[in-house]
Amino acid sequence: MSRLLEIDDLRVTFRTRYGEVTALDSVSLHVDAGETLGIVGESGCGKSITALSVMGLIPQPPGRIAGGAIRLQGEDIVGASPARLQALRGAEVAMIFQEPMTSLNPVFTIGSQIAEAIMLHQNVGADQAFKDAIALLDRVGIPSPDRRAHDYPHQLSGGMRQRVMIAMAVSCRPKVLIADEPTTALDVTVQAQIFDLLNEIQRDFGAAIVLITHDMGAISEMADRVAVMYAGRVIEEASADDVLDFPQHPYARGLIDCIPALGRPDHRLAEIPGVVPPLHLLGAGCAFAQRCAHRNDRCDREKPSLVNHGRHPVACHGAEESRL
Amino acid sequence: MDSQPTQPQIAAQSPAREAWIMFRRNVPAVIGVILLVLIVGATLYGSLFYQGDAFSIVWAPHEPPGVTPEFPLGTDYLGRDIVAGLLTGGGPTLAVGLAAAAITMVIGVSFGALAGFYGGWVDNLLMRITEFFQVLPALLFAMVLVTLFSPSLFTIAMAIGVVSWPQTARLTRAEFMKIRELEYVTAARAIGARNRRIIWTVILPNAAPPLIVSATLTIGVAILFEAGLSFLGLGDPNVMSWGLMIGANREYILDAWWPVTFPGLAIFFTVFAVSLIGDGLNDAFNPKLRER
Repeated sequence: MSRLLEIDDLRVTFRTRYGEVTALDSVSLHVDAGETLGIVGESGCGKSITALSVMGLIPQPPGRIAGGAIRLQGEDIVGASPARLQALRGAEVAMIFQEPMTSLNPVFTIGSQIAEAIMLHQNVGADQAFKDAIALLDRVGIPSPDRRAHDYPHQLSGGMRQRVMIAMAVSCRPKVLIADEPTTALDVTVQAQIFDLLNEIQRDFGAAIVLITHDMGAISEMADRVAVMYAGRVIEEASADDVLDFPQHPYARGLIDCIPALGRPDHRLAEIPGVVPPLHLLGAGCAFAQRCAHRNDRCDREKPSLVNHGRHPVACHGAEESRL
Repeated sequence: MDSQPTQPQIAAQSPAREAWIMFRRNVPAVIGVILLVLIVGATLYGSLFYQGDAFSIVWAPHEPPGVTPEFPLGTDYLGRDIVAGLLTGGGPTLAVGLAAAAITMVIGVSFGALAGFYGGWVDNLLMRITEFFQVLPALLFAMVLVTLFSPSLFTIAMAIGVVSWPQTARLTRAEFMKIRELEYVTAARAIGARNRRIIWTVILPNAAPPLIVSATLTIGVAILFEAGLSFLGLGDPNVMSWGLMIGANREYILDAWWPVTFPGLAIFFTVFAVSLIGDGLNDAFNPKLRER
């Protein structure tokens, strides 16, 4: 049986003034129904480009899918026609954006925006769609939804707006829900509520969730499996517990050490020195080498590939050698 | 599900109705509406209460206003009644203004929306065409068009529309280029909206405020333009208009101020009323200015 969503050796390039740079390099991921895949990494490591590729929303040009496949229920959507992509978006794959403040159209009421999403994919009248929208608002925990449906986005708080975004995203019961840093713009107490809501929605609708985040706390709360990305590549992939407890790649270890621990005043918060290198300056070796404490000559010469050296797949020469 | 007693409906109104409620509270806008209704009413039904033919010579020339009770605003250089001229001339003036503004908006918004949304070669092509029209001196070009197609209300409105749309196209393009990049446009794409839908139902409503203002200004400009063409003798000679009155009497302005002043005031109040209404519409359709 084929996977619900399978990304296979995906390569995405962008034309820039430095020439063509590779934003995603041989990325392979998959997610099954009812499962949550977490994608973690710093800004600029390719998380959002992965999400946009799945949605078919890479701006082309300058972007280009240079190779690989994205299969949704076995159907390759890389070469799909624009009309087919339009039919899939919203209906089969939906997306929740990072900024609930700016992701809603300011001139329409939230009820009419959800109703519009419903009418795009389902053959229902405007009245029925609006009723469905109110039911969805109720489902995502908006109090007195029949009145709130007539509110404009600016009349709602950030958490409420993100709930509206979720209602819109699940309005057509998509099989895959991509959440691109859904809680980054929200405060911590609201974050937990949104995660609870996403978990509930997943239970009800049986959707697969791809959670994109840089927050390891979110990963431990939500994800079943985790892919760690760095400079456009997947560098480690395993179950969430495995990655959190036994990270193999120095970068993954670094990300986990960056989580502040409460009640341990002696604990010095770690950091990963440096930044993600600009994509046009990537050399032949490991992209993380300049920031890595364990680098050796081989790291500068040769790009490590994602191989299982014992516990789970990791792309690191150091991890390979320590196992040998 | 609906068995509960219905709660007081606070916001359960259509957007148009809410906009109307907002609009009603806006005093200048309401003044604008009253003014425009008076002007339009006078031009439509004024002849029922005030008999008089705008073209016939009825009295001595240059009779000052307020001297003879039959001609409250006096007579022009030929001895024609100015009140009759204002009442008959208003309809064509307003019609040309509205029609020209409509043509301007239709061409300008279409060009600007497509250019701003698609960018690339579409933008290049449409903007080069726009620039071609933009570099022609507007009045001269309109004069050429009017003389080419013989002056009538329709050709005058067309000519004004054809020379004034480039500004609207530029404005629309800039708004579209700005809004195109916003996140809610990507979000609309992500729920499966087509380009056509995104252009007309997502971006255009958000680009509307400056366009509404521009449309009302265009009505004013078009009325003035028509006056200018008539002033130059390129109006339709068989149809009385405020511009024609000003044009015909301009040579005697030092001897008699009233034949040009009253049509001028009529144009001023019309443009003023339309601008007030435009501002009011702009505020009424902006949800952020509504009371919570």
